[in-house]
Amino acid sequence: MATLSIRDVRKSYGSVQVLHGVDIELEDGGFLVLLGPSGCGKSTLLNIIAGLDDTSGGDILIGGRSVLDLAPKDRNIAMVFQSYALYPTMSVARNIGFGLEMRGVGADQRKRAVEDAARMLQISHLLDRRPANLSGGQRQRVAMGRAIVRDPELFLFDEPLSNLDAKLRVEMRTEIKRLHERLGTSIVYVTHDQIEAMTLGTKVAVMKGGYIQQLDDPRTIYERPANMFVASFIGSPAMNFLAGRLVPDSEGVQFQASGVSIVLPTRNRPVDSERPVVLGIRPEELRTVPRNRASIMGEIDVVEPTGPETMVTVQVGEHAIIARLPPRFAGRRKEPICLAVDPASVNLFDPDSGRRIDI
Amino acid sequence: MLSHRRFMTTASSRYLPLRALGELSETRYWMYLLLLPSLALILLVIAYPTLYGMAISFREMRLTRPGLDGWVGFKHYVAMWSDPVFWIALKNTVVWVAAAVALELSLGLLAATALNRDLPGTKIFAVLILLPYFLPNVVAGHMWALLLDPRLGVINDLLVRIGVLQSYKAWFADPNTALAATILVEAWHGFPFFALLLLAGLKGIPEDLYKAAAVDGAGLAAQLRLITLPMLKTVIAAAVILRVIGLVNSPDLLLILTGGGPGDATQVLSLYAFQTAYKEFNFGYASALSVVMFVTLMIFAAGYIRISRITKGQGDD
Repeated sequence: MATLSIRDVRKSYGSVQVLHGVDIELEDGGFLVLLGPSGCGKSTLLNIIAGLDDTSGGDILIGGRSVLDLAPKDRNIAMVFQSYALYPTMSVARNIGFGLEMRGVGADQRKRAVEDAARMLQISHLLDRRPANLSGGQRQRVAMGRAIVRDPELFLFDEPLSNLDAKLRVEMRTEIKRLHERLGTSIVYVTHDQIEAMTLGTKVAVMKGGYIQQLDDPRTIYERPANMFVASFIGSPAMNFLAGRLVPDSEGVQFQASGVSIVLPTRNRPVDSERPVVLGIRPEELRTVPRNRASIMGEIDVVEPTGPETMVTVQVGEHAIIARLPPRFAGRRKEPICLAVDPASVNLFDPDSGRRIDI
Repeated sequence: MLSHRRFMTTASSRYLPLRALGELSETRYWMYLLLLPSLALILLVIAYPTLYGMAISFREMRLTRPGLDGWVGFKHYVAMWSDPVFWIALKNTVVWVAAAVALELSLGLLAATALNRDLPGTKIFAVLILLPYFLPNVVAGHMWALLLDPRLGVINDLLVRIGVLQSYKAWFADPNTALAATILVEAWHGFPFFALLLLAGLKGIPEDLYKAAAVDGAGLAAQLRLITLPMLKTVIAAAVILRVIGLVNSPDLLLILTGGGPGDATQVLSLYAFQTAYKEFNFGYASALSVVMFVTLMIFAAGYIRISRITKGQGDD
């Protein structure tokens, strides 16, 4: 177990800079998720932490000790790859024990460690097989066994679930969470799946274009996204954006757009004059209300019942927004619909910079 | 049976050739009909000459003494048993092929590993390194004969200049160096074959395996031994078999460099058979030599495949 400090880490390939000074502190036993779309630099950062790639600047500390000069094997880390990277010519048992074998651990001790890890992951019956004879989920477990058997200071996961089918992915996600709670080892986990990030991370770094967009706990990232990119990347269906303007009001300020008028409480400073803003509303914050209490008036476009809820696409002025409504919602296409939202749950963004505005 | 009967009834009611053909194409005999032309071609150009060649080994067939023609049974094989040149040629063949293949495999692996890095310029080197293999044996042979020439060879000159040699050496005339010299020439000529195949094999090994090995603490030697070589096993086995067959069967390089000499120092089976047939015009004995080579190669290939277990398809999923 150890803390991880990523300090001003930069990385360029030739003239292309893929990491622009990344700073992250992860507490002992924490679960850091690096989340972002393809090409955001998250895998590069993971490889740098592992020592599989070198930095162009900055420092990496594991347990307070700089590891930049250490080879991957000396960093006391274990890594799980997206492709699992199991050695095809070795048995499962040897795959799991390979790190110990290379470190000169005796055969008896190795065998015991492999069996313990296998029991924890419920793959004891597979130890004699070759990777080629395993299913995707079994390979995934073997790859994890290979990581935990070494009892490292830090686990690195590189999109470990993306090659699994949807059902297995959910199962293994739970498994990883259970493993983390049981072992208490710090984890860095790369994914482009926001659900994995939300469910697993104690800390999530949302990345884009080599910059950290926001580094926070999952709840804060979901409820108070730092900018429109984070707001739209996290959550499914995505956050609704409504372009409009803020108008001073007796009770605070009012957000106005065509078909929308919401009174927002101001906490710190009154808004002096009108200014253009983008309002962000999570689909689940919208609810239907009688006409006299409505703050958003629109027309139903599409109704999609999913079972536990109904997704309703509503045309509001020139915007189409999605509301997540109760399962037995009865509206039909072309009917008018009146919606309201808790003013405390909305987010405001600057239309030019995309940054969050706190009022 | 059913389809056959249908074919019959259609034909008898009113004979339509195209329709009959169409009916036939629905039956399972159609497949054999389609295979027939290729089968005939194979029998004509491969099976017949091979069997005929084997048959000659049981006959007397000397162009210089046409009167001796006739079946002689195992006479040639018995003669071979007490022919000292045959045993020398067999030993030389084993040494020549084993040493050349070992050298070519090592050099090829080295070259392939070097070329497998994505560095600027590796594409050009990948082409350059193939050049020796592009040269016909005859051209490569004459080139090296000139390079190693005892009077004007540039290699002799270089070795004398840097002080390795006192005076120019006739590499192919000395029984102690002739075989080694021809092995080196063959290795130079043949290693790109291994480089090419091994490079293709290396490209098929996922990069992640080496990353995982680096994290697991496997050094370069362990990575080579535990990942690269096991993953290349199939390619290596196939390449070695192909190369051994090629080397055992091709006398051309030795024919040009040494002609089997000095004495019989570089005599190999293929060259011996060739010379027996086309210098002594003793086709019967030459054919018997070829049959022995053929059988030996078959045994080698079968044994090698069994040892390296390439048929079990392990190592790939």
